[in-house]
Amino acid sequence: MSGWFDPLFRVSDNLLELVGVGGVFSRTVRIGVTGLSRAGKTAFLTSVAANLLARGNPRFALAPLGATDVPRFDHPRHLAALAADPPRWPERTDAVSILALTATIERAPFPDRRIRLEFLDYPGEWLLDLPLLSQDFTGWSRGVLERVAKSGPRAEPFLAFLRGLPARAAGDEALAAAGHRLYRELLQALRGQGLSYLQPGRFLMPAPGSPPPWMGFFPYTGEGGLAGLLANRYAAYVEAVRRDLASPLFAHVDRLVVLADILSALHDGPAAFADAYAALAASAGALRWQFSLSEALQSLLRLEMPPRAIERVAFAATKSDHVAERQRGNLTALMRDLARAPAGGARVAHFAIASVRCTEDFVWTLEGRPVSAVRGRVLGERRLTRSYPGEVPDHAPDPSFWEHKFLALPAFEPMALPDGGRLGVPNIGLDALLEFLLEDVL
Amino acid sequence: MSELRTKNVPVAPRIEAEDLPAPRLEPVPLPADPRPRTRVGMPTLAASGLAVLVFGLAGLETGNFIADEFARSAILGWAALGVAATGFGLVGLGFWREFKALMALRGVDRLRANLHSTDPVRRARAARAWVRRLPEAETLLPAIDAINDPDAILALLQSGPGAALRAKSEALGRTAALQAVAGIAAMPSPGLAGVFIGWRGLRLVRQIAALHGLRPGLLGTASLVRRTVTAAASVAGVEMAANTAAHAVLSGPIAQHLAGEMAGAGVAARRMLVLARAAAAACSPLSEP
Repeated sequence: MSGWFDPLFRVSDNLLELVGVGGVFSRTVRIGVTGLSRAGKTAFLTSVAANLLARGNPRFALAPLGATDVPRFDHPRHLAALAADPPRWPERTDAVSILALTATIERAPFPDRRIRLEFLDYPGEWLLDLPLLSQDFTGWSRGVLERVAKSGPRAEPFLAFLRGLPARAAGDEALAAAGHRLYRELLQALRGQGLSYLQPGRFLMPAPGSPPPWMGFFPYTGEGGLAGLLANRYAAYVEAVRRDLASPLFAHVDRLVVLADILSALHDGPAAFADAYAALAASAGALRWQFSLSEALQSLLRLEMPPRAIERVAFAATKSDHVAERQRGNLTALMRDLARAPAGGARVAHFAIASVRCTEDFVWTLEGRPVSAVRGRVLGERRLTRSYPGEVPDHAPDPSFWEHKFLALPAFEPMALPDGGRLGVPNIGLDALLEFLLEDVL
Repeated sequence: MSELRTKNVPVAPRIEAEDLPAPRLEPVPLPADPRPRTRVGMPTLAASGLAVLVFGLAGLETGNFIADEFARSAILGWAALGVAATGFGLVGLGFWREFKALMALRGVDRLRANLHSTDPVRRARAARAWVRRLPEAETLLPAIDAINDPDAILALLQSGPGAALRAKSEALGRTAALQAVAGIAAMPSPGLAGVFIGWRGLRLVRQIAALHGLRPGLLGTASLVRRTVTAAASVAGVEMAANTAAHAVLSGPIAQHLAGEMAGAGVAARRMLVLARAAAAACSPLSEP
């Protein structure tokens, strides 16, 4: 719908700027970057920042953040880590940060136009807290316990503890602490198996500082004092998610990038692959895809800006430099088959990207046949490593696919960054993704 | 048959380290953009041809004249040579100054491009080079070394010497604005008032150029006026709206009755202020390229 009005908005922008009040209406585009843990959000944002800042026209500069609570995304530190010799990958994200850039578009003889772009970074584990906003404690506990029951012997200690609880357990702090500890250990074990749909996210990646008392809960479907205590803590946790993550960050997202490390999921096996797919679908479903009149009215009554609907979404399979160019088309097709935006007016596109390129393509003769493969240096080694992890399917893998091995991706080191990254970061597909996201505003 | 079966069996995935150490991979350099060929325009070609004709023929004519004078007498020859050398020397000196003024303007463009470069090293070096020419260099250079952050260095320059230059430019603009109001009131005809405003505007541009350390001659002033017009597009947004509003208010029949020609003078005064800002933006290396 908004596409119909775009030419009108552009004409009105030009007129407003012509009379000198365009600055009052200068546009801010907020881009949410979502992705499960280890999908490569921080590397993506570092590469986006370096490549945009290296551009000539439009010119990009770091934008002031004013008096916001959210810290600035520390892209110089991450870039320095990638450019170092030997290079390092950016550290795991443990808090929310924002990358704000101002694009200056020259439109002589008219005054320059400025667009503010805001990208959000946050721990990937926290993304799965968004679906909690629409669930009560009982409903959430039931869903989690169903998934946990299918996860094999590793869940046995926690399930045994639950089975040992009386039907109406008292609200005892020691019981809550013991259950919480066992549930956290279970989540960590499941993450070690390659599973992603693990809630609550802060149990795996706590916010900096001492954990507040409301963190001490676990899924429980019983009744009595313990159930009440856990439900209260769950409600406080959800409120913290709403206050710290959903309202300030995701309520006003109007472009979205969904990153997924599909190649690692192919290696982890069918259970991990299905789990990652479910996690992505759940987190994407928790975002705002359609404009809601009732929500807009409620916001206006609270004297707040109405939440925006997401206009464009880019689904990107990351680490595509771990397979040869011939297979990247399949990777894009696989992403297209797996990821669809929920109903709404958003424009959708799919990409296979590598935010920071690590490898080069070459032809490897294996078993007497030429195969497109990649090679690069693994972190900490001085020799090149050749990799042909297997064939990437161009649609959701069927049972026959899992009969063949798909090897784990080597931890390649990033390519050398020209001029310490000041001239940009070598990548695959990032320009096309940014062009799709921003073509109507830049 | 067995060969066909082999072809259908997928190749087993494999990961292997090579035997020899290798350097870190480098990205494939992109082909450099071919430099756009700068074509000389028709006016430049025609002006150059005319200059060659005028000075070349004048030189040849003068040479012949001096040779003739030497043929008549040595004293007349030396006198003619002295007159010709002095005249051509003064003309050459004038052109040299014009050339230097034009180069100074180009230097501002280069400095501006460097100060807004995405390369932090280039930016910091340009900042130091510019600050060395300023009276505040002694205070600013240690501060720049201490900051060592290109973005913060630019912010420091904009809020320090940049703000001082802007304030002085605006003071010159206010003086010109007052003179414009007084001049329009004193001029006997609208045509003369127009000439006066044009002359005052030109003088204002040259004053602001001098404030920024530039000494433009005739061609330099023409180039500066062209740059000022371009810069006006980026600084005059708000002023344009204010002018429109002022004109709407002051051009009303009641206001005109009360203020007479002062309504037009008010707009001319505001234009002087806009001109001062635009000229400052054109002369300052701190304004955005």
